[in-house]
Amino acid sequence: MLGFVIQRVLQALVVMLVISALVFMGVYAVGNPIDVLISPDATQIIREQTIRAYGLDQPLWKQYFDFLSRLLSGNFGRSFVYNMPVLDLIFSRLPATIELTLAAVFGATLLGVPLGMYAGYRPDSLISKSIMAISILGFSVPTFWIGLVLIFTFAVTLGWLPAGNRGDTATLFGVEWSFVTWNGLTHLFLPALNLSLFKFAMMVRLARAGTRETMLTDTVKFARAAGESEWTILSRHVLRLIAIPIVTVFGLELGSTLAFAVVTETIFSWPGVGKLIIDSIATLDRPVMVAYLMLVAFFFIMINLTVDIAYAALDPRLRTRRAS
Amino acid sequence: MSSQLLEVAGLTTRFETRSGALNAVEDVSFSVAEGEIVGLVGESGSGKSVTGFSILGLIDPPGRIVSGSVKLNGRELVGLSHADLRSMRGREIAMVFQDPSATLNPVLTIGTQMRLAIAAHESLSEAAATARCIDVLTIVGIPDAGRRIEAYPHQFSGGMRQRVAIAIALLNRPKLIICDEPTTALDVSIQAQILTEMKSLAARLGTAMIWISHDLATVSSVASRLLVMYAGRLIETGPIAAVLRQPHHPYTKGLLNSLPGVAEPGQDLVQIPGSMPSLVNLPEGCSFRPRCTHAQEDCTLLPAFATDGDRAFRCHHPLNLPVSASEARP
Repeated sequence: MLGFVIQRVLQALVVMLVISALVFMGVYAVGNPIDVLISPDATQIIREQTIRAYGLDQPLWKQYFDFLSRLLSGNFGRSFVYNMPVLDLIFSRLPATIELTLAAVFGATLLGVPLGMYAGYRPDSLISKSIMAISILGFSVPTFWIGLVLIFTFAVTLGWLPAGNRGDTATLFGVEWSFVTWNGLTHLFLPALNLSLFKFAMMVRLARAGTRETMLTDTVKFARAAGESEWTILSRHVLRLIAIPIVTVFGLELGSTLAFAVVTETIFSWPGVGKLIIDSIATLDRPVMVAYLMLVAFFFIMINLTVDIAYAALDPRLRTRRAS
Repeated sequence: MSSQLLEVAGLTTRFETRSGALNAVEDVSFSVAEGEIVGLVGESGSGKSVTGFSILGLIDPPGRIVSGSVKLNGRELVGLSHADLRSMRGREIAMVFQDPSATLNPVLTIGTQMRLAIAAHESLSEAAATARCIDVLTIVGIPDAGRRIEAYPHQFSGGMRQRVAIAIALLNRPKLIICDEPTTALDVSIQAQILTEMKSLAARLGTAMIWISHDLATVSSVASRLLVMYAGRLIETGPIAAVLRQPHHPYTKGLLNSLPGVAEPGQDLVQIPGSMPSLVNLPEGCSFRPRCTHAQEDCTLLPAFATDGDRAFRCHHPLNLPVSASEARP
C-alpha cells in the first residue's frame, strides 16, 4: 500500500511538471506578452528594458527553467489587476468555492445514491419513474437556465432566499465561511442546489444501473436464501458492490466543480475562484491564470490519488493485486 | 419410513414470458424425510433449480407459484407473507449455489457475511456470533478458522470458498439444505472431497438435503433416493440403487446409458437423440415422446404418475417392470 502511494506521488510530480510546461507554453510562450505589458507607443528603449526585465530575451528553455524555479519557490508573482500576490488572491477566494462545491457534491451524492438505489430496486414503481424523470431534467436542462429560474422563483417571486453573494461569514480555522452562519447558509442554498442538480442526476443513474445489475446476481440470491432482509441486502451488500463507480464519479465531479463552477458563481455573484479566473482571462491577468491552472492540476491529482486509495479500501481484491 | 420433513404436492411454477406462459415446474410432488438426502436430476432447463427456489419462495416475477403446496413439518409455505418466508429461509431451509465465487460477496470478509446471516435470525453479541462462525467453519473443514474469518472470499481456493458457502447455509442449523449443483464449478478431486464431507455432515447433524445436479454419477454417490425431472415434470422417482439398476422410464435409461462409465473406452458416449423441447411449446402428452425409442400412439396422452411400491414413474411403456406387472397393463 505504501509503495503504491509513493508510486502515485512520483507519478503526480511528473504530471505536475508536464502541466507546468503546458501552462508555460499556453500563457507565456504563445503570443507576445510584451504587447500586453507596455503601451504600443512606448519608446524602443523602454521596450527593450521591459523585455530584459521579464527575461524575454533569454532562450525559451531558460525562460521555462526560470518560470519553474519561481513556481518551486512558491513565487507565483503579483496580479496585474489587483496588485497583490496571486496566491493570497486565490486563497482569499478559494473557501467560497470549496464550501459551494462540497455542499453541491455531497448533497447530490447523499440524496442521489439512495434514490437511485431505490429506483434500481423497484424499477417499475411510480416513485422510481418520477425519480428518473427528475434526473433526465437534471441532465438535459442547462445549468444557467435553472439558476435563473431558481432566482426568479425563490428570490424574486417568493422572496424566501437571497439571490446572490455569500451573506454573513464567520471565521472557522482562520478562514471565512458562509455555512457557519444562518444567513450565510441561506445564501449558500440556491447556488449549491443549482450546482448539484446535474451531479444528482448522474448519481441517481449510476446508483440505479449498479443496483439493477447487482440485484440479479447470485450474491443477492444467496443472501436472500440465508433469510437476510431486503434492507440488509441493499445497505450492506449492494451499496458496497456499487460503490466503486460512485466514488470515481464523486472524485471527478469534486475536481471539476472546484475548478469550473464558473457559470453558477457568475449567476449568483458568488465570489469564488471560478469567477476570479473568468475575470482574469478577460483582463489578461497572466499570473493569476498560471497559478490557477497549476492549482487546478494539483487538485485533480490529489483527488485522483484519494479516489485510488478509496478503491483499495472498498475492494479488497485490488489491495492484494497491488501488494503482489 | 420416518416422519416427512418436507412435502411438496402438485407444485406448479409458471413464468409469463414474452413468447407466452410456460410452466417451469409442473405438478411436481415429492417428499423428503428428516435427515434424508434426495437427489434431483435433469438436464439444464428441466426445472430442477426452479423447484428449489419455489420451495424457498424465492421465485422473482415474472415467475410465480400458481398451484400446489409445500409443507415443512406440516406447515404450509406457499402463500406465506414475505416476512414469514424470510424468517423461514436460512433458519429452516437453507440453500447452497453452484458457483461460490459468484455467491459470496467479494467486498465483505467472510466473517461479516456470516454475521449478517446470523443477524437475520437472532441478535447475538458480536463475540457469540463470531464464536459460532468459527465453530461452523471448523465443522466444514476450514483450517485455522479463527484467523481465516477476517479473510475475503478471493483469498480462498474454489473448494474452500464452497465450504464457506456451505458454512453460511449451516449457520442457523436448518433442517433442510437445498444444494443446487454445489460441486459443478469445482475441480473433480475437490468435488469428491466435498461430496463425501457433505454426506457425513448430513448424517452427523441430521440435516436433510435436496441435491440438485445434472450429473447422475455425483448424485448417486450422495443421495439415497432419486428424483428425475424432464421438461418441468417429475418422470421417475425411487430408491437410488433400484432406479439405477432398473430404470422404468426410457429417459432415465437414456441418462444412465450416456454416463461415461457405460461406454467402452475409446468409443463414443451414448447420447439421447434430439434435445429437450422448449417449455413454451411442449409436445402433446408425454414430453419425452419425440425423443423416445419406445414411443407409441398412446404416448400423445399424458401418462399418470404411477406408483409401484416405493417407486413411481410417468410412462405408458415402462421398462424393466416385473413380467406380471407389465402384462397386467392393458
